[in-house]
Amino acid sequence: MSPLVTVIVVLTGGVLAGVIGSLTGLGGGLVIVPMLTLVLHMPLPQAVGVSLFGVIATSVGAAPRFVGTGLSNVRVALFLQVAASSGALLGALVAHNVPARVLFLIFGLVMLYSAVMSFLPTQHDDAGAPADSPLAARLRLASRYKSGDKWIDYKVQGVTPAFGIMVGAGMLSAMLGIGSGVFKVLAMDKLMRLPFKVSTATSNFMIGITAATSAGYYLAHGEVQPIIAGPVILGVLGGAYMGGHWMTTLPVQQLRRVFAVVLSFVALDMLLKGVGV
Amino acid sequence: MSERLEAQRRLITVWILRTSIGLSVACIAAGLAVFLIKGADYQPHTPSGPITAILAYVWQEAMGLHASAFLDAGILVMLFTPLARLASGVVANARARDWLYVGIGAVVIALVLTGLFTGQDAG
Repeated sequence: MSPLVTVIVVLTGGVLAGVIGSLTGLGGGLVIVPMLTLVLHMPLPQAVGVSLFGVIATSVGAAPRFVGTGLSNVRVALFLQVAASSGALLGALVAHNVPARVLFLIFGLVMLYSAVMSFLPTQHDDAGAPADSPLAARLRLASRYKSGDKWIDYKVQGVTPAFGIMVGAGMLSAMLGIGSGVFKVLAMDKLMRLPFKVSTATSNFMIGITAATSAGYYLAHGEVQPIIAGPVILGVLGGAYMGGHWMTTLPVQQLRRVFAVVLSFVALDMLLKGVGV
Repeated sequence: MSERLEAQRRLITVWILRTSIGLSVACIAAGLAVFLIKGADYQPHTPSGPITAILAYVWQEAMGLHASAFLDAGILVMLFTPLARLASGVVANARARDWLYVGIGAVVIALVLTGLFTGQDAG
């Protein structure tokens, strides 16, 4: 493949990842890693290193619209980030000693899980937690967010189990080149009982920092090709911008389901690669 | 945190995010343009090594106006954006005398920086 064609393919993949990420909430890493490994036949560690830069771009590109709305709970993000970044460092170290086939298997399973979650009916507890847990009170995690013209207060609990899950989410992010947003949102929504909008915005803040922790490791080990990472960053930023504008006009729920079906097929391909078929 | 400090924090955060995105996009676009103009006989790469070695390499490549310098600068700006946002948060918390979150923010920054210093210089 000529350098020009490679740049065009990667740029297109980045745009696709950005559009899908912003429309469906499913992370761009789930598009970028399969594109680089299955289409461009890039070794998995290099694909993961590049994809982490796409994850940072996703987080940074979406962040300005959350500033000032209170949707991103910075205290929750910072506290949980200690666990997520520790997990990311651990994951980056471990990933280099895990056979690629095992990583393909884990990636396939995470993709299948994300696809299945897209089909399940979502129930969110908008009322939130009735009171702060003692640890949440000590850390002053309760906050408020803007909904229309009103500010809505909420309480926080389940900090310790969520902290544990963040270690695992950070490890998966570093090993697979994904944002692990699906696990972060799940922990904040179901365990900490944060309002769903707060969980997604806080997760968006966190995935950028988690990815930066392990992306630094991959970069320092020479596993990030700038000629691939550059177009991925450009594509993701452009795609996220386009997706943000199409969000109000396209049938997002149906798109999410169609993408989940595509994701399932790619997941099967990754699983087959994992078992050596 | 007072309303005034909070408003300042918001302005600084948005400025960091927008400036970083603009800078990163400009550097990468320039890098791709140089790469495509110069042709396929030059392959941009990032050397393995601690961040100090990578920065020295980027500077050296920039002197020759090579594509690597622009591309690496663009991806480094993107990499440092979450760190810059964290650092501005630590400063805001210090101004508000919220020492607990100054400490937690500093630990997170240290964890992010650790990854950047783990590389072995390929020589």
